[in-house]
Amino acid sequence: MATFPYDDIYQLVREPIDIAALARHVRSPEDGAAVTFDGFVRNQSHSRPTLYLDYEAYESMALAKMREIGVQLHEKYSIHRVAMVHRLGRLEIGDTSVFIAVSAPHRAAAFDACRFAIDTLKRTVPIWKKEYFADGAVWADGELPPTAAATPRAKPAS
Amino acid sequence: MPPVSRSIRVTVLFFGRLKELTGHAEDSAEFADAATIEQLFALYSARHPELAKYRSSVVASRNQEFASWDTPLRTGDEVAFLPPVSGG
Repeated sequence: MATFPYDDIYQLVREPIDIAALARHVRSPEDGAAVTFDGFVRNQSHSRPTLYLDYEAYESMALAKMREIGVQLHEKYSIHRVAMVHRLGRLEIGDTSVFIAVSAPHRAAAFDACRFAIDTLKRTVPIWKKEYFADGAVWADGELPPTAAATPRAKPAS
Repeated sequence: MPPVSRSIRVTVLFFGRLKELTGHAEDSAEFADAATIEQLFALYSARHPELAKYRSSVVASRNQEFASWDTPLRTGDEVAFLPPVSGG
């Protein structure tokens, strides 16, 4: 796989996400702002108390899609570094499932890019969560990714 | 010419509820002649009739890129059927 041309981090992990380390990673002296998004496990879903969640991914494609989001971020916004990490496996209430950090010289680009990143991740990255309740488990309602026909993309040179 | 020369063999991946429904995370499928992703899904729907009702809420990928249902298959392709995504 080609080396990503930025000093970014894109990972799928099965251990707790070290959010402080990721927030530190994106900071550099030429920046003036970093915006972070911390997504964590809620204790209920549609008013049913949640016991825990289990996340699975199409791992190779998910990582490729996360890197594609990163490419879009650098194209669209005047940002410096991105860290984007999603955790898989069993997560308890309050555990961070996804963490995104974006640094930039000025705050507006960092805010906009971070928002775009999480919104796009939730629509296009092949990750699924199963919600476990006292009386059973369900796959969470998800979003249908845009099809190839709707979003033609040039084949990236590798 | 032996008919096997035009056959197509692909790897098929199922995720989420589709994995539970088919009982496979990964399988391989073979066609004697040209076939599309739609035909591949139909092959598994014939084996697992409940699968058919998810057709409108599934997207497919070919070699880790989202792909339309009329995409032709080539030997060695990795095709995945993806339920609505719910990461984050």
